[in-house]
Amino acid sequence: MAKHIMSIDVNGDRHEFAVDDTDTLLDVIRNQIGLTGTKRGCTTGSCGVCTINNDKGESILSCLTHALEWDGESITTIEGLEADGELDAIQAAFVEFGAVQCGFCTPGVIMSAKALLNKYPEPTEEQINEGLAGVLCRCTGHIKVKEAIRNDFLIRRERIRRALAGNAS
Amino acid sequence: MLLPQHTYHRPDSLAECLDKLAHLDAGSVEGADRLARVQVIAGGTDVIFNMRLRLFQPENLVSIRSLPELQQVETLADGSLRIGAACRLIDLADNPLVCDRYPALKSAIDAVASVHIRNIGTLGGNICLETRCWYTNNSEEWRKGRAGCFKTDCEQCHVIPSSHTCHAINNADTPLALIALDAVLTIQSAGGQREVPIADFYRPDGIEHMDLRAGELLTHVTIPPCTDRTVFIKFTPRRGMDFSLGAVAARCDGTGQDAKKVSIVIGSISTAPVVLDAPCRLLEKQGLSDRAIAGAVAAIRDEMGEVTNLYGRATYKKQIAKTLVRRALVALREQR
Amino acid sequence: MNKNINPAAIGTRQPRLDGAVKVSGRALFTDDVRPAGMLHGKILRSRHKHARIVRLDTSKAEALPGVKAVITAADAKGIYATQNEPVICGTVTRYIGEELAAVAAIDEATAARALELIEIEYEVLPSVTTIKDSLKPGAPQVDPGIPGNIVSDNVDEYGETDKAFAEADFVFEDKFVTRPTHNLFAEYHVCVADFSRPDKLEIWTPTQTAYLFQHSFARAFKLSLNQVRIVHLHTGGAFSGRGSVRPHHYIAALLSRKARRPVKVFASGDEEFLVCRTLGDNEYRLRTAVDKDGTVRAIDVEATLDGGGQGHALGYFGWMVGLCMSWIMDLQGIRFRRRVVLTNQRPNFLGHGGMMIGTNAGLMQQLQRIAAELGMDPMDLLLKNAIEAGHHGMTGEHFASCGLKECLEKVREASGWNDKYGKLPKWHGIGVSMGSMAAGARGAFKHDTSAAMVKVGEDGLVTVYTGIPDMGQGTHTTMAMIAAEVLGIQPSAVRLIAGDTDSTPVDVGAFAQRGTIMTGNAVKNAAMDARAQLARNAADLLGVPEADLEFAGGRIFVRGTDPDAGQTANEGVAPGTRSAKASDPKAAATSGEKPTSVSFAKIAYGSLHSKEGRFVMGRGFYTTPVDYGTAAWSFGAQVAEVKVDPETGEVKVLKVWVAHDCGRAINPLAIEGQIDGQVYSAMSQVLYEECETDEGQYLNPSRLEYKMPRTYEMPEVEYILVETNDPYGPFGAKEVGEGPIVVAGGAIAAAVSNAMGTFLPEIPMTSYKVWREITRNAKRKKGRKAA
Repeated sequence: MAKHIMSIDVNGDRHEFAVDDTDTLLDVIRNQIGLTGTKRGCTTGSCGVCTINNDKGESILSCLTHALEWDGESITTIEGLEADGELDAIQAAFVEFGAVQCGFCTPGVIMSAKALLNKYPEPTEEQINEGLAGVLCRCTGHIKVKEAIRNDFLIRRERIRRALAGNAS
Repeated sequence: MLLPQHTYHRPDSLAECLDKLAHLDAGSVEGADRLARVQVIAGGTDVIFNMRLRLFQPENLVSIRSLPELQQVETLADGSLRIGAACRLIDLADNPLVCDRYPALKSAIDAVASVHIRNIGTLGGNICLETRCWYTNNSEEWRKGRAGCFKTDCEQCHVIPSSHTCHAINNADTPLALIALDAVLTIQSAGGQREVPIADFYRPDGIEHMDLRAGELLTHVTIPPCTDRTVFIKFTPRRGMDFSLGAVAARCDGTGQDAKKVSIVIGSISTAPVVLDAPCRLLEKQGLSDRAIAGAVAAIRDEMGEVTNLYGRATYKKQIAKTLVRRALVALREQR
Repeated sequence: MNKNINPAAIGTRQPRLDGAVKVSGRALFTDDVRPAGMLHGKILRSRHKHARIVRLDTSKAEALPGVKAVITAADAKGIYATQNEPVICGTVTRYIGEELAAVAAIDEATAARALELIEIEYEVLPSVTTIKDSLKPGAPQVDPGIPGNIVSDNVDEYGETDKAFAEADFVFEDKFVTRPTHNLFAEYHVCVADFSRPDKLEIWTPTQTAYLFQHSFARAFKLSLNQVRIVHLHTGGAFSGRGSVRPHHYIAALLSRKARRPVKVFASGDEEFLVCRTLGDNEYRLRTAVDKDGTVRAIDVEATLDGGGQGHALGYFGWMVGLCMSWIMDLQGIRFRRRVVLTNQRPNFLGHGGMMIGTNAGLMQQLQRIAAELGMDPMDLLLKNAIEAGHHGMTGEHFASCGLKECLEKVREASGWNDKYGKLPKWHGIGVSMGSMAAGARGAFKHDTSAAMVKVGEDGLVTVYTGIPDMGQGTHTTMAMIAAEVLGIQPSAVRLIAGDTDSTPVDVGAFAQRGTIMTGNAVKNAAMDARAQLARNAADLLGVPEADLEFAGGRIFVRGTDPDAGQTANEGVAPGTRSAKASDPKAAATSGEKPTSVSFAKIAYGSLHSKEGRFVMGRGFYTTPVDYGTAAWSFGAQVAEVKVDPETGEVKVLKVWVAHDCGRAINPLAIEGQIDGQVYSAMSQVLYEECETDEGQYLNPSRLEYKMPRTYEMPEVEYILVETNDPYGPFGAKEVGEGPIVVAGGAIAAAVSNAMGTFLPEIPMTSYKVWREITRNAKRKKGRKAA
């Protein structure tokens, strides 16, 4: 079994480690790097719980891609969304609007939602449906997930307003 | 469902890649033996999936995802659009050169699987999508629950037990639009290159379903300019996610009910896309009136070939095909 | 009004308290756990649906470097899942996927390789894969001890069914079938077992009931109950699919015992569809006796259930095929017969909604049809027959609270029913449904007790200890809200300890809709006990009778005075920063004021440091105050509106109006979430989900080909929460975990039936089957016209 050394930037940290030819990006995230927020599910790309974001902020199924393809690249996992101890607006929206129940699909759904919002900060219903169709959510039927996504920009706007008010005073 | 052992290669250039394919494929024969030696991987959404199922167990994976020669979308002197095989579906879907000039292709690209898949999947990968069957596309352990078949290791087909060929279905979406658009494929090897109209690329065989030989690689897709009316419609159990149970690409010239050139391609009902003949000739004679459309739809029956119960009842798949063809023709008529 | 007095917790839209860990990726699920030295287990599964195992040779697997344990049936003697399902089959295998051997190795690849090295020879035997074939005379026997392949055949009857049928004006009969499904929770089946010490078995696994799991493992391995520790971290959904220990759990423990190291077993890919136990092919015949004025007199249900290769668990819940119908209508008689039949297929059990979603789908369609025949509006028919509070049921139930009629009337209005029923365009349909769900199940298990503890630490912080799992339904947040309500604090200030049988009190678990009512009452009782202890000490300190005290804002104060009076700057902050003066109850008196208000911290700290040295810990438990069954039922009614595409058979569910009598809406946000998920699942089961079977195998065992809808398919849902304040429920609350799905199944089925003008013969009615039915109907009508 051949081993290769690869490096990858995860959530802003550069990691270097050995991989097998048979490792997928999901294996590397959970095993070599040790971040368990990204989940192992169907491993064939149909459930979406393994979703992460690439360097363009797009949703990527980490179970379906060869680890070595990502040598030298940079990704974001669910652990990388919060900043300075504060949840990202979409994470806060999921909590506030009841879009989380069992929580197993939540990292994958949030990373998919984040990718959607990266592209369309105020998405239409059609765009929301398209962006999230690749992830299953058995508990919510996606209803409150969509509501959380619709309210993401309101939360962002409120945070900016508060920050400006804080600066002004 | 672990990936099988293999060696991963990442060539830096197309030339290096073709040399490697020639070297790795040397001495292999067609069919299963060739597949076992080397497999090309671009986005990998189909390859990794099938490797986990142990439908492919290549000794070598050759990555073409980042080959610089396969990334371009460029307009040629004659107005054709040339697309590199490793272009991501998502990038093509957002590219005005595709969206503005070939709206049916854009529809087909948008219809491929989910956004997640399109963020890594490539045009070349979709064109070369492996055929599918629920008797093979489950895990290796699952397949041990019954005897094998043509695709795995034995001389029979579970879909049609009396058959002498494999009936796995071609579910790819983009080829349908590309066939309607008269696209041409550039296929290269260490020994040279050839151009194949995509309409001639597919064979009605669930196993050897593409005209792609040992050591060859699909590198580009060239689409001639098109000012005709075109449409692509896909039917799935769930939107934004599934392989189709039927899909149609259609094209015609003219305006309103007038049409002198009509082409219709049906996907997901057979081992290869089905290009219709008699229904199109009928429409070219009679135009796109409701009556002519009804006649054309009725005439599909004789050209659909052997429609199986794979992934859905044959009667239903035929109904879907007929419905989609009718809706596609009406949509064309209403475009202008 | 003082700013510290928080509004009552009950009834507020409370975001779930574990929301932050779940959205940040910190929440741990079982697959994230990796105890030191953990091995990877894999299971060798039968590849034949019926075969004798002639030879099994594991020697090559045992010899493979990196393999630490290999087990076969000999290692699992005497260990059964359910009553007599051996966890490793050693003789005759009865279904594809049955467990035949297992290995544990240092990594997954080695374990997979080891499985390949196990040599096995089968003698294939004749088999049966459908109920029809299984019941044919002379059919191959799935179990030699079960003649005729009929595991059980029970009839229950209440009232005077035959008399009612004889006297009624009309009798309607319909037949339908339901197809096999999967609960399809997001988290795949997984178990980590550590049996490296013979006197302590530790199990990490998602579960609905740590307690029953404890019992099962203890019995199997001849351990005492508390020598088994069940750790359930976050649980990725259950939906009736994680209520019992399965072979793979026992196998993980057996491998661990043999290897003397922890072992993880994870269901990979389509293996997931082999280890789950959901519904199989079930056939129903539904007869209803009704008078011309719309009075439903009696119901007679006959069901034949496919138990798969082992049918035993299913028979126990066979009452579901009929009993719940008597909870919604005042019947003269009800009879339900269920036969459980064996076939050489995966063993079957229940899905979300049990079998009740299927039977309600049949019943509501039939009642709609009956209404049409009688020239009545179906809504009026349901209203005429719906029970009311105070009704006594057929097996002695007393429905103390019942908002069924109110639910019907509210969805009638909200949906605009009167302007729609019978007036929609062709291929549009509307349907109404009602249902009821029991909360709690005394007599069904060893006992039905939930217990809880509420600790008030010397820092004043409140911790609730509960044994109930939260599998997503929000139970833990609900418990925190109940404790918060009793103690007058914010729910977010409540810590909750759960998920480990070593440290939590007994709780039978999260099924049979027990959570809110049983565990809720236990937590309430424990919180009341803690409150009483605090009140007693506070009364001493403040020199007033306990009856004069109020709890709000984390303080205890004399009614009518300022709750914040005497609050010092460092109260309520981290322990260790408090000054001696503030924490000494006597200090305030010395300073010349008579205190009227005191913090939890002061009381708890003070009582700990008093001469008695008392620690504040409330304890409580609860079981249903009836001998058998339940004390409370939720009720609901729904209207669904759909549109059918006659060319493709696609059904679009446009909107569902949901009225649910949950007794008291403790957390409306969570209740809405439950309703969403259940409307979704009902729609999914009625229109999409189906295991396509061929010769004892599922053809579509994946999230790709097993069709559970996604974002585009979801309808709009409107919620109407009805509160009837049940006398038994904590703060009047009952349940919401399974009531709505049963009603939704009926509403959607009735709506589709209305759109198509026909009774749906099969559930799910996929687009193919809808189209097929439309085509058949058109031919029938043509035939009638021609004749």
